[in-house]
Amino acid sequence: MPASEFSPIIEIRDACKTFGETEALQNVSLNVHRGEVVVIIGPSGSGKSTLLRCINHLETPDAGTIIVDGIPLTQSRNINKVREEVGMVFQQFNLFPHLTVLENICLAQRIIKKRSRKESQAIARDLLAKVGISDKEKSYPTQLSGGQQQRVAIARALAMQPKIMLFDEPTSALDPEMITEVLDVMLALAKEGMTMVVVSHEMGFVRAAATRIVFMDMGKVVEETTPEELFTNPKEERTRQFLSKILH
Amino acid sequence: MPDLERAEALPRPFPRFRQPPWDRWWILFGVVVALVILMALTRPDPYARIIRYMGDGVEVTVGVTAVSYVLILIVGLIAGLGRISKHWAIRGIASVYVEVVRGIPLLVQLLFIYYASPVVLQSFGRYLMANVPSFGALGQSLSTITINPFVGAVFGLTFCYGAYVGEIYRAGIESIPKGQMEAARSLGMSYFQSMRYVILPQAIRVILPPLGNEFTALLKDSSLVSVVAVADMTRRGREFMSTNFIPLETWTMVALLYLVLTVFSARIVSYIERKTAHARQ
Repeated sequence: MPASEFSPIIEIRDACKTFGETEALQNVSLNVHRGEVVVIIGPSGSGKSTLLRCINHLETPDAGTIIVDGIPLTQSRNINKVREEVGMVFQQFNLFPHLTVLENICLAQRIIKKRSRKESQAIARDLLAKVGISDKEKSYPTQLSGGQQQRVAIARALAMQPKIMLFDEPTSALDPEMITEVLDVMLALAKEGMTMVVVSHEMGFVRAAATRIVFMDMGKVVEETTPEELFTNPKEERTRQFLSKILH
Repeated sequence: MPDLERAEALPRPFPRFRQPPWDRWWILFGVVVALVILMALTRPDPYARIIRYMGDGVEVTVGVTAVSYVLILIVGLIAGLGRISKHWAIRGIASVYVEVVRGIPLLVQLLFIYYASPVVLQSFGRYLMANVPSFGALGQSLSTITINPFVGAVFGLTFCYGAYVGEIYRAGIESIPKGQMEAARSLGMSYFQSMRYVILPQAIRVILPPLGNEFTALLKDSSLVSVVAVADMTRRGREFMSTNFIPLETWTMVALLYLVLTVFSARIVSYIERKTAHARQ
């Protein structure tokens, strides 16, 4: 299928995934268009992280098709191609502890994009300025706070100039006072028109940036809706129950 | 900014311990060397004579150990990566290799390679000559093959130690959190690029100490190659004994010379460990 302006940039059709006895995904279908910010919410174990990880093939779906920017993720040789276009930010940051902040951001640029040291460092410095931690480029990850580490992780992913950014509970491992600094970076990114798929329960972010909410439970998409609908008039009973627990 | 204060309070990534300017265990090395020299000076006969006789044996022992060790590091890495491979066949082969090698004494492995494997190769050569004419030339050369003692010894030591060292690599790689590989892969790096640039540089800090211990162990176990016609220190000691009949003096000197080598290598290993522990800051 050719990738055109109008076809979805991520197309998931009937994805299934089981881990032993648990069915993490049951026939999940989801389309994401360019510039959309899709937030996936749902109780733990509902399959939201699994779905996200399927998009860049950190998990392999047992059945179904996933097409990212016109590239089907069925042949293994396409995986690295897709991963170059998809940036991922993890709950646990996963910065490389043996490298400085600057080296963290430059490593993949040098290896994958074959950029020179100078060029990759210039890009890294630009991004560090953008996420607001220019003064930390020579620090090692463990010398930074959680919020700073997560911002470096975002800069590291952006350095590969991805078309899509995936966020897997990016603020769940952070102290409350550091959540805002990460969300601010994500909001700015959304405003620039980046296509984003976010697993998060930060309702502030949902209100401010989400174009669409996907509520998942027991490995299924229960409801797809807009933020306004979600907060004022959720259709499904299960969604209402869940929201009453997280919105107090 | 509360952030900055927090960051200062966090531990440095690679803490530096206060180390004495030099390693005190060098004293032991000095004592052993001094003892050897003292013995050679006070009683040149037999001690100086033994040392002269042992000279080329020391070379052989060091040579066999050094060549084997380099190969072991390579074979071990392959075995270690094989053990954690996603592919069941590769993992199976690596696991069988490790289990089989660990279940057979090194001495028996060396005897097999030197005495038994030529028999196998020779009969295979004869089979080729008789039944596969197109490989007749290969069969011809195989049918009269003998194993060079040095090559056989290096092969045996590498085969055996590769399995143990493979387990060290595996444990080191597995000690790195899974998220590191995921982060590297999600940036578009291949499996081997992720290993090379992200996983192994971190794992090496865990791997290095046991890897160094293996070198000392290998140095000692290399004495076993004396049974497969390699003229190492142990074999030279036996030869000296069989013509001079002074077991106490001979084996005392052999033991001391081994001690000189092992204590020295242990110091070098610990020096390298200290260097790498500091190198990152």
